[in-house]
Amino acid sequence: MSHPAHDPHGPVTRPGETADQALEYSAAHDHVAENAHGDEHGHGGVGKYLLVFLALCGLTTMSFLTYSPAWPWRDQPQVGWAFMMAVSCTKALLVVLFFMHVLWEANWKYVLTIPAAMMAIFLAIMLIPDIGMRNRMVSQERALHMARASDVKLLEKAAEAAADAAH
Amino acid sequence: MNASAISVPHGHDHGHHDGHGHHGHVTLQYQPGLPLSKGKLIMWLFLSTEIMFFAALLGSYVVLRFGAAVWPKPHHVHLSEPIGAFNTFVLICSSVTIVLALEAARVNKVGLAKAWMLLTLLLGTLFLGIKAYEYQAKFSHGIYPWKPRGLIYERPDLYYGSAVRARLGEPAMIDRLKELDDAAADTLSAEQVAARTRLQQVRKMVASPDQQAFDLAVVADQIMPLPAEGAAHGEGHAAGHGGGLNDVFPWLRLPIVIPGGNMWASTYFLMTGFHAIHVIVGLIVFAILLSYRLDAKRAGMIENAGLYWHFVDLVWIFLFPLLYLF
Repeated sequence: MSHPAHDPHGPVTRPGETADQALEYSAAHDHVAENAHGDEHGHGGVGKYLLVFLALCGLTTMSFLTYSPAWPWRDQPQVGWAFMMAVSCTKALLVVLFFMHVLWEANWKYVLTIPAAMMAIFLAIMLIPDIGMRNRMVSQERALHMARASDVKLLEKAAEAAADAAH
Repeated sequence: MNASAISVPHGHDHGHHDGHGHHGHVTLQYQPGLPLSKGKLIMWLFLSTEIMFFAALLGSYVVLRFGAAVWPKPHHVHLSEPIGAFNTFVLICSSVTIVLALEAARVNKVGLAKAWMLLTLLLGTLFLGIKAYEYQAKFSHGIYPWKPRGLIYERPDLYYGSAVRARLGEPAMIDRLKELDDAAADTLSAEQVAARTRLQQVRKMVASPDQQAFDLAVVADQIMPLPAEGAAHGEGHAAGHGGGLNDVFPWLRLPIVIPGGNMWASTYFLMTGFHAIHVIVGLIVFAILLSYRLDAKRAGMIENAGLYWHFVDLVWIFLFPLLYLF
């Protein structure tokens, strides 16, 4: 018998197939048999990883830009938020595609990642009515105790007054 | 998975039978439904549950934050953007080193693989160390993930004033304050002498029967000022302050005002805490892997550990801007 008995994923004969045909099929389709150092060559490479690393460092610096005084849209935080989310998604994509080798994986990757990502998005959206809009209508008692923008202003004024008193 | 089990009759005797074995011996062999090893499949299934787990945390944070009337600015809660950015850099580096460890193991460079793995472990530890330092900065300013978080008040209102008054009126506190009032000026530092005068004013203000809303804002500002932007860490205090009274006299532990601070503390510690737990688990896995010979036979294990570690990195990639820069 030509079965490699030690191989846990060894060839399987299907109806109407000889053992040798099965072995051939297996050699062509079974990427698992030698997952230690078999199928996954022809991608990756240290050079590519370093390139991705540099890109990630560059992107981190870019999102940090929004914190620097040079950022031109300080008065419109939404611009910074959108920018940072775009940068983060790019970084996440780089990590997933290259470091997690998803770029070179077979189509099973979609089976696992797309439903999970969709459920993640639905989950956040489903929170909006009850949680995101919780402050649209509040009881008087809660309104009494919750912080408001005017409180921040008041505290800033107090800090200014303290600074003036010190000088 | 749709692994199809097909019975294959074998010519030789194994000495065991299964249910259908009317004519000789039958061994079951499995054809994997997905072209990847079991370990990797399980790791990816686990990661897809992890995606939903962290998406729930991050999603709730975003929804809570944008639904809040007021959310503290990062510098109000003593978050330092440069430190966060540096930590991001550390995690990215560790992601690269674990990938390089895998590459080295695949070509049987055992020593090199071990070196990269060790470096990954060290970088992960550095990340945790920096995180611990950041947590310490929160604790020292009275922001805790557990019960004393009740120190944070949302607004400088009457309730806040009475909380300060109650704290100052505790018997042990009265003794401490008396001790401070009686202390000779030369036993105290200049900062402490100035702070003592400010503390006396604060005590007068909270006890005054005709206090105004602004008085209580002044009290809150004296106890723990909301730091100005860019002065988030360490000695960062608003100009003109000799430091918050809680900083000068740590035993005071007076209630503080951070508008939106309670919800912020809940989400911050929950998200960074769960992330830190994941980092710790990753470090344990690396420590275990280091005890093996990291050759091509172990590449599958390293790959799975790496997948997990990249996911941890991925979460931080989103946590960093959401917490530090928003």
